[in-house]
Amino acid sequence: MRTLRHHLFALLVLALVLAGCGRATPTAVPSSPTSEPTATPEQVATAAPTDTPPPTDVPEPTELPSLESNVLTGALESYVEGMDCFPEKVTVDDATGFEVTYHGSYKVVTVPEAWAGADRAYTYVLYQRGTPPPDGFDDATLIAVPVERVVSMSTSYLAQLDLLGVVDTLVGADSVAYASTHSVVARAEAGEIIEVGYGSDVNVEQVIDLDPSVVLTYGLGDEWDSHPKLLEAGVTTVLSAEAREADPLSRAEWIKFIALFYNREAQANEIFDAIVERYQSLIDLAADVTERPTVFLNAPWGDTWYMAGGQSYVAHLLRAAGADYLWSEDTSPDALYLDFETVYDQALDAEYWLHTSTWSTLDEALAMDERFGDFAAFQSGQVYNNNLRTNPSGGNDYWESGVINPDLMLADLIRIFHPELLPDHDLVYYQQLAPLTQE
Amino acid sequence: MTATTETHASLEDLPRRSAALSRVAFGGLVVALVLAFLLSLALGSVQIPLDQVVRVLAGGDAARDSWTKIVLTYRLPKALTAVLAGAALAVSGLQMQTFFRNPLADPSILGINAGASLGVAAVVLSAKTVAANTLLANLDVPGHLGLVASATIGAALVLVVVMVLARYVNTLTLLILGMMIGYLTNAVVSVLLYFSIADQVRAYVSWTFGSFASVTWRQMPVLAVASLVGLCLAFLLIKWLNAFLLGEGYAQSMGMPVRRARLWVVINSALLAGTVTAFCGPIGFLGVAVPHLCRALWGTADHRILIPASALMGAALALLADLAAQMPGSATVLPLNAITALLGAPVVIWVILRRTPMRAGGGW
Repeated sequence: MRTLRHHLFALLVLALVLAGCGRATPTAVPSSPTSEPTATPEQVATAAPTDTPPPTDVPEPTELPSLESNVLTGALESYVEGMDCFPEKVTVDDATGFEVTYHGSYKVVTVPEAWAGADRAYTYVLYQRGTPPPDGFDDATLIAVPVERVVSMSTSYLAQLDLLGVVDTLVGADSVAYASTHSVVARAEAGEIIEVGYGSDVNVEQVIDLDPSVVLTYGLGDEWDSHPKLLEAGVTTVLSAEAREADPLSRAEWIKFIALFYNREAQANEIFDAIVERYQSLIDLAADVTERPTVFLNAPWGDTWYMAGGQSYVAHLLRAAGADYLWSEDTSPDALYLDFETVYDQALDAEYWLHTSTWSTLDEALAMDERFGDFAAFQSGQVYNNNLRTNPSGGNDYWESGVINPDLMLADLIRIFHPELLPDHDLVYYQQLAPLTQE
Repeated sequence: MTATTETHASLEDLPRRSAALSRVAFGGLVVALVLAFLLSLALGSVQIPLDQVVRVLAGGDAARDSWTKIVLTYRLPKALTAVLAGAALAVSGLQMQTFFRNPLADPSILGINAGASLGVAAVVLSAKTVAANTLLANLDVPGHLGLVASATIGAALVLVVVMVLARYVNTLTLLILGMMIGYLTNAVVSVLLYFSIADQVRAYVSWTFGSFASVTWRQMPVLAVASLVGLCLAFLLIKWLNAFLLGEGYAQSMGMPVRRARLWVVINSALLAGTVTAFCGPIGFLGVAVPHLCRALWGTADHRILIPASALMGAALALLADLAAQMPGSATVLPLNAITALLGAPVVIWVILRRTPMRAGGGW
């Protein structure tokens, strides 16, 4: 008997709740202006949070207002639905790691494969400040552009921010100790950049406290990644796959990717076109060489001698510089795990040796292992390392500004392999190892 | 240090294979060792025809200059290092198992390996990579010897602490203290790792994989002298080690100077383990598995058999592990420690699950 009463009471409560909900629905007012098919000037005036006076002469708009250039700071003040907020656009020519499409008030940026074997693509919808966020992108990250506060999780992005002139938006970085870009270092010394830690040790609380519009990071698909924690905490995180580009020009093209967040497409186009021109002229310069000197890379870590694959970034540069990389026939874009014997056997007579660990002198090489002295390149002194521009903490500018200076990297290599082609070029990133001090 | 007839009698009571079988086993082991040594010279990631290898070993030149150099400056010192390191680790592990009466004791139980790791970490993971390299270069200390020297200093520091403790505390306490020292030093290494950049971390981690290949002829004399001295010392300690098997109280009643004996066993084991770790990085499992294999094969706990047997078996297994890690014919290389674990762990499992003679006579 008591059970029946309880059931009846529950049913009654349920019925009342349902009735209440039913009554509430018809009275809800649709407040989003984007549901309206046509935008009249009066509605635009009430939607935009500015005090622009409504136009007195109000013909039905047959032509949408057009902007002369992208909005570089702040919000767009006179948005009319359907207008093109981004008259300056980029197209992705060489890079394969990202795509962008333009849709009036927003751009859709996709990173199909942020790391090798990534299980999903990452989509970012960049909508102009002052316009309503577009619907229908539940899976994507919506970001209002131009962004105003940025956290960078790699030194690779610093030089690009500097080149675009937006370093003043940098409020946080994984670490400033290894940065070489002057404007960033100066800003860090002034206390304007907060260090947030790297990889999976990123200090999420610190990042949230900085209230960034965007955190620029990369993923490797393993437990050292910082983005899972950041995404979980609701921080707007953008994954860059720039490091996966095997071609140096494609990697440099990612300056357009960064520019998209700042509406600085015009600037990025100018910069990249100049890079392409310089790079191409260097390729043409070295294209007709008759002799290609042999070269091998790196030094062993313990028992393993990592050697760049034949389709890797470095291999591309060496080929373009007119050298014969001993592992250029390999088809892998990743590093090969070789051992001392194998490299010794194939590279004993090679003419050049590049990218030698952290060494700056031949003494260091010999001290590491006296067998390095057997290599022909060692004996002729043709050993070069890409650590000429290293800051006191060990941060190497090759990986920082090098990204947007593939032409300088190529010029350095041409100067090394074919000095007669560029006699006046001073090495920017590379240095020849200092000769032996004894015997 | 004179053996008494009573001690001999009780030892001969231990069950073991007949003397003839024992000699056959030794003979077989020596043959296996020689074969493994020759295989190490003949096989590697670069395929060198056997006749070329023989020609180089006989003092001639191979068809290719690089082959001569590979056999003489790479494979030969590597094989020699494996022999010395394998023997040293096995004998060191055996002594630790006897001393602590613990079948799972290994050379690193006193924290010596951890001390060596701390020494290496202090050099490799110091804040400024570039500065550290130039510092070493300016001191005219060869870079790699810098690693060896720092590992030795680290190991020696821990050894001194352990030696002082060994005079005053009993065995069980020493075991626990050694383990705690190990944990402490590993904690410091962790903190150093945390604050290091990727390159430094990678350099340190590469060192922890263990390798017989990094010892060159220039460094060989130190390794050879230290290991051989340690091995000879172990032979001299045989009687004391056998006495330990019967319990410290009994040994003392037989006239063995227990304190001095303990000190020497600790020193010897630490010398062997520290030397190998300094030159090859921390190498695991050989020290634990080899003594058990020998006990099972010879059916005895008598150190007169076990010390030479462990030395030979350790050398042979080290050579085989190195061969397996090299993956002959392919250019890739696996970390040595992974292979020793793959070989050693099943052995330990098998031994523990079997009923072995050591339980009857060893007093575990």
